[in-house]
Amino acid sequence: MIEFNGVTKIFKTELLSQPFVALKNVSFHVPQGSMVGFLGANGAGKTTSLKIIMDFIRPTEGSVEFTNLGKERFEIFKKIGFLPERPYFYQNLSGHEFLNFMGSLSELTAVDIQRGIAKWAPRFKIDHALNRPLKTYSKGMLQRIGFLATILHEPELIILDEPLSGLDPIGRKELKDVIVEVHREGKTVFFSSHIVPDIEEICDRVIFLKEGQLVYDGTVDKLLKSEDKTEYTIKFKADHTLKLDTRIKHQHSLPGGLQVVTVPETAKNFLINELVTKDIDIVGVEHIKPSLEEIFYHIKSN
Amino acid sequence: MLTKITIISKYTFKELLKSRILYITLVIGIALMVVTYVATEFTFGVPEKVALDFGLGMLSLSSLGISLFMGATLLPNEINSRTVYMVISRPVPRWVFISGKILGLMGVLLVNVAILSTMTMLCSYLLGGVINQAIIMAIIFNVLECMLLLLVVVFFSLFCNTILSSSISLVILMLGHAVKETQATGFVEKRPMVKALLEFYHLILPGFYKLNLKEFVIYNQQIDTSYLMNSFLYGSAYSLFLFCTIIYIFNRKNLD
Repeated sequence: MIEFNGVTKIFKTELLSQPFVALKNVSFHVPQGSMVGFLGANGAGKTTSLKIIMDFIRPTEGSVEFTNLGKERFEIFKKIGFLPERPYFYQNLSGHEFLNFMGSLSELTAVDIQRGIAKWAPRFKIDHALNRPLKTYSKGMLQRIGFLATILHEPELIILDEPLSGLDPIGRKELKDVIVEVHREGKTVFFSSHIVPDIEEICDRVIFLKEGQLVYDGTVDKLLKSEDKTEYTIKFKADHTLKLDTRIKHQHSLPGGLQVVTVPETAKNFLINELVTKDIDIVGVEHIKPSLEEIFYHIKSN
Repeated sequence: MLTKITIISKYTFKELLKSRILYITLVIGIALMVVTYVATEFTFGVPEKVALDFGLGMLSLSSLGISLFMGATLLPNEINSRTVYMVISRPVPRWVFISGKILGLMGVLLVNVAILSTMTMLCSYLLGGVINQAIIMAIIFNVLECMLLLLVVVFFSLFCNTILSSSISLVILMLGHAVKETQATGFVEKRPMVKALLEFYHLILPGFYKLNLKEFVIYNQQIDTSYLMNSFLYGSAYSLFLFCTIIYIFNRKNLD
């Protein structure tokens, strides 16, 4: 749905200062119907990429193409919903006025706008505040009304810049549930975040940027498998003086006479056999999987 | 596209109206009534002229003030608060967005002008003054002057920060009013270089003095129709040129 082709963006901030390279020949694609997380540390180039996709800024080199959304810009942007990072909106407009404003710009009729508000406002728990000016809204409420405005016209492609920042854990869970719900309706969702577990929880694909360069573009599963060392922890009841014949990687004791050992996959069955033979009570066997967050920090530090 | 320009200008107008900018108009209106009352006590024979002079002066100052300061923040505020992204990420071309914003602010200016000009004419009329065509013309030309200043300040706000764009525009406004009289001074007459410089200035930067008809009204001078037509065409053509330039630049501007 989005083809980001060889994009380089160079900013010249001051007349005599060194140009700043925000993106270096970055290419990735967002397939139709997918939920793609856009990861990267602060300053990695995520927001710059999103601004280029939305045509707020122009790339120094490269191009952005949209497939299956239409040919003309006008036609394409009718089917896109975009929520910027930390939006402030129009402080003196009420929630209702703001949603009417956004809905009518997306060519919705008054009836459609009211239907959309009736559907989503209670879900976002802002229905009680719609007659109040936006300047009285909390940060979380602004984020929620912003998201409502983004999906009001039922876009096919939803692009969100840090949509979960500024929300409390309950607000984050509610927003994630709605993102998953609209994705299940067949919408393509592309969102940036630095909260890695959120992306691991709901995305099927991930794009990693580091210092303006692409590090990874693919499925979350593939990334997790690539970093999977296939090790197991086996927990059993025994004295710490117990000598084992199986080659183990790591062993430590827990209170209550529990031993925890880490073994590679090849040694797992040997150890279980040995423990059964010695009539030792096995409490648990667990496959150690690195989380996306661990991989993210590993990539960041390398 | 016209519908979208109307939508953007409507909500810009609402937003600005709710920001209580028109409280200034209210304060000036009350001040106008107080000054008119005081004028009836202290001036002999011409209180209606004082009311007209003060009213038109305040009308001009407040409208130019709104153009200058609201115009300087019109686009930078949209970019800094990222509200512009919410609008142009929809099927809204940039030229539609900027046209709607400028028209919305023009709406606020028109409300300010409508309130103050009505009060001015009412005060003058109650004190025995006559409402003639020249007063109406002076008010219309004041609107044109404010529109031109608004476009000048919006133009500079595309490159400079708020303080710089309003300062530059204020200087251009003052020079634009003073340029004609400065050209006629003996100092300039004796110095061809300065004279050429002022003529060059005249060619490029707006001559705001052409849109100021207040003196004709206060001193009951006859306004020549051709002068009116020329001034109106000058103001309109300059505004149109600036408007097109703003759209051209805004279409190419990086909104970061």
